[in-house]
Amino acid sequence: MTSSTLARTSEAATEQSGQGFGASVRRTEDYRLLLGTGTFTDDLQLPRTLHAAFVRSPHAHARIIAVNAERSLALPGVVAVFTGEDLAELTAPGVMVQTGAESMVMETLPTRKVRFNGDPVACVVAVDRYVAEDAVELVEVEYEPLDPILTMESAAAPGAPLVDEDLASNLHTQQTQTFGDVTSAFAGAYRIVEARFSTQRMTHVPIEPRGVLAVWDAGRRELTFHSGQQTAHLLRTNLARRLRLEENQVRVVSPDVGGAFGQKIPLFREELTVAALAIKLRRPIKWIEDRLENLTAANHARDDSAWVRAAVDKDGRILGMKAELWADYGAYAFFTPKYPIDSIGWLLPGPYKFRDYEYSINVVITNKCPAGTLRAPMALVTWATEGIIERIARELKLDPVEVRRRNMITAQDQPYVSATGYTYEALTMWEGYEQMLGEFDLTGFRARQRAARADDRYLGVGIASVLEPTTYGSAWYKKGGRGSGHEAATIKVEPSGAVNISVGIVPTGQGYETTIAQVVAEALGSRVENVNVRLGDTSLSPYGMGTRGSRGAAAGNAVAYLAAMEARGKLLRIAAHLIGEQVDNLEIRDDQIYVLGEPEPRLPLSQVSWTAYMDPFKLPPGEQPGLEIHRTYDPPPMTFSNATHLCVVEIERRTGRVTIQDYRVIEDAGTLINPAIVDGQIRGGVAMGIGQALLEEVVYDESGNNQTATFLDYLIPTMDAVPPIRISHVQTPNPHTVRGLKGMAEGPVQGGLAAVMLAVQDALDGQGLTIERSPASPSRIRALFRTVEGDVDE
Amino acid sequence: MRRVRFELNGQTVEHEVVPRLLLSDFLRDVLGFTGTHVGCEQGACGACTILLNGEAVRSCLMFAVQVDGATIRTIEGVSPDGTSLHPIQQAFHENYGLQCGFCTPGFVMSTCALLAENPAPTESEIRSHLSGNLCRCAGYESIVQSVRQAAWELAGGNCAGKADGDDE
Ligand code: FES
Ligand code: FES
Repeated sequence: MTSSTLARTSEAATEQSGQGFGASVRRTEDYRLLLGTGTFTDDLQLPRTLHAAFVRSPHAHARIIAVNAERSLALPGVVAVFTGEDLAELTAPGVMVQTGAESMVMETLPTRKVRFNGDPVACVVAVDRYVAEDAVELVEVEYEPLDPILTMESAAAPGAPLVDEDLASNLHTQQTQTFGDVTSAFAGAYRIVEARFSTQRMTHVPIEPRGVLAVWDAGRRELTFHSGQQTAHLLRTNLARRLRLEENQVRVVSPDVGGAFGQKIPLFREELTVAALAIKLRRPIKWIEDRLENLTAANHARDDSAWVRAAVDKDGRILGMKAELWADYGAYAFFTPKYPIDSIGWLLPGPYKFRDYEYSINVVITNKCPAGTLRAPMALVTWATEGIIERIARELKLDPVEVRRRNMITAQDQPYVSATGYTYEALTMWEGYEQMLGEFDLTGFRARQRAARADDRYLGVGIASVLEPTTYGSAWYKKGGRGSGHEAATIKVEPSGAVNISVGIVPTGQGYETTIAQVVAEALGSRVENVNVRLGDTSLSPYGMGTRGSRGAAAGNAVAYLAAMEARGKLLRIAAHLIGEQVDNLEIRDDQIYVLGEPEPRLPLSQVSWTAYMDPFKLPPGEQPGLEIHRTYDPPPMTFSNATHLCVVEIERRTGRVTIQDYRVIEDAGTLINPAIVDGQIRGGVAMGIGQALLEEVVYDESGNNQTATFLDYLIPTMDAVPPIRISHVQTPNPHTVRGLKGMAEGPVQGGLAAVMLAVQDALDGQGLTIERSPASPSRIRALFRTVEGDVDE
Repeated sequence: MRRVRFELNGQTVEHEVVPRLLLSDFLRDVLGFTGTHVGCEQGACGACTILLNGEAVRSCLMFAVQVDGATIRTIEGVSPDGTSLHPIQQAFHENYGLQCGFCTPGFVMSTCALLAENPAPTESEIRSHLSGNLCRCAGYESIVQSVRQAAWELAGGNCAGKADGDDE
């Protein structure tokens, strides 16, 4: 960008027309964060606070024989050391229930066995963190090491030692779902095309690690749990149950949160321990994990694989599909073990038309850090679906574009009910794909690619159509047995006309304070500056399901808008009564009440709100005083958005290094609230997808020791690894959601992984090489090239 | 205990510190300047970046005793008056250069150091200079744009950063 274009950009950014839906309003969160006055969990300081640190298992799998804390307790400044036995008295165990599988019970801290390298065994409480960490070194734990289970195969092998001795098998989940007549589809096929895709173990890496400051008010018998979280209310419910307290004795306050990506959802054992000990010791206790703990013991994700078989006719039309899916869930279950892998199963048909489908899911429990839901738990799916389409084209010697044309769902096909029973509506998968082809010169690229090959340079392009499930309504949870997808908002138009609003979603970087203010300002004819948004405190915010999936827009912002529209209705009824006009004749603009068609306002909004509180006798008959409204909203069973991602890579054969030369996204997330914030979600999501495709990998050695405990070993994308991304938006409103919102946030990760992996495969195609596993790291790419005769490492 | 005396955001500070106290913990937990964030304590994420005698350093890799006699600037000292945004902060705001904001103080401090040394960096100079700061949210492009705009604003809006093609 030249200086003059930069100047133009900055001017364009200055003039903002309107602040409601569709306006790239600048974020209200920024001010405190930029001045360094934000409040993250570790920024909170209270007098008399003690600090906790955890003794962790050096073994992947071992019996706990004895814990001796004598030397640790002798260290000046150490207040107490607690073991699993102590915590078992103070707390109730966690139970993970999954329909059709054995329940998994998790102790607060293990009493019998440690199950992974990093499993917490005891908690030291001391006057400061330095002393607590010294004291951890002095706790002597006697272990009897056991054989670790470290692979899916060894976990599932008959007679394998059990990771969880209360279970019948390490193969915890095994289910098959069949849709249509897949047997006939396969029997009548011209060809069965198959491919394998598997992803590495990853971890979330919020730059702010996990942490908590737990404060027990012994006089009121109330616990305040300050901790960066995504689902504050669900956490409170869980925390109260595990601490054997009532829900009105527990308050969760999630302050500013330094990223979460699905990691800050469950009630972790360390957090529960700290809360229990704050009550026991009647002192505030703080625990902030360090990066080593975050990388090795917080929560992992992915580590899954798909074996996909497609039955096709000779023109590449898909007749049916089968998928065998496996996941390594690690040592404990903080989420239902089937959740991430099952979403790959039901999403795998993706944007393609076929009815006959079968998938099986297999989840094993192993001696690794527990896995969970990292942004786009189903990330593998887009790579797998688009990868099998490419494979069909390759094996049938057809143009992959043509194979898509024959199979992809178009606007005319919708509403379309997918093989697994989901209704697609107002989606633009084929249209987005065509638009991408219109903007990218594929023929020209193929010529460049051929020319480069002659020079021993390997270029590849990947184009992936992303179908992203964003917002799960209660009807979806009902199918799986239980849970709710609703969200809630409480809005208060104060006597002065200033607005306070709270919603059950909890921000961890998404800019909700800005977008909620935008939708509220639009509903009330007010300004963003007039709307104060307070989130994450269960004593202020109504009970909603919080932040997970991509539900911020179509559930969280939607219910805020609905609550504000109710407030608007009441304001207009009062205003109409005050000035003797019909309600339908009034509108609110710029905080003023107008009669339609009149140039001058009749009343300021503040006069109406003042009347509502202070002068109830002036209210219309039957109208209640006050302007405080609580509203809940349950979105449709499932809302989707879609996108097309394109990536061009070059692989350097000698080093195996992959560089991204071009990256483009066409996104259809329906009605947008703040396009600049959506662009930020795309860029951040694609960066994480690139991390999965090229860099990140949790590695355990053959004894189960975590080998990636620092940022030097676990590589997340840096500024020089993420290219600029060209983004364009199509806004096809969803006819069934509030204002046509669809939401988005996880699709960019799905697309990032898929587009890069497809591009890498495209670059390798002419060599007869197939990449079946991410990341496409230099060592993995080199290993592939070495299989080509004569290619030896230099 | 050792006594240190230094300048922090324009004010003289004198304090007793234990030898092993990390500078990041000293600033945050003892002095209450919590805008400096700790993301790794491994010297690898850059969230704890501050200016020590004008140079960007990682406060998690230093001990508090090392600052005796030094001049330190943290994120709290970037704004000219504590309430209005400095052009670098303003540029991050206008370019959506932050999401969760946890990495942001580190990026702002690294940008201060970069622009003091090189007022008109190219895009690739920005990318290589800031590649030691990790951000998990934003995907970096908006941060690069923020830095470019900050350079442009600080140069008075007329002496611009070099264009892309000028890199080599
Ligand atoms: S906290 Fe200092 S570099 Fe990460
Ligand atoms: S904005 Fe969240 S880590 Fe950078």
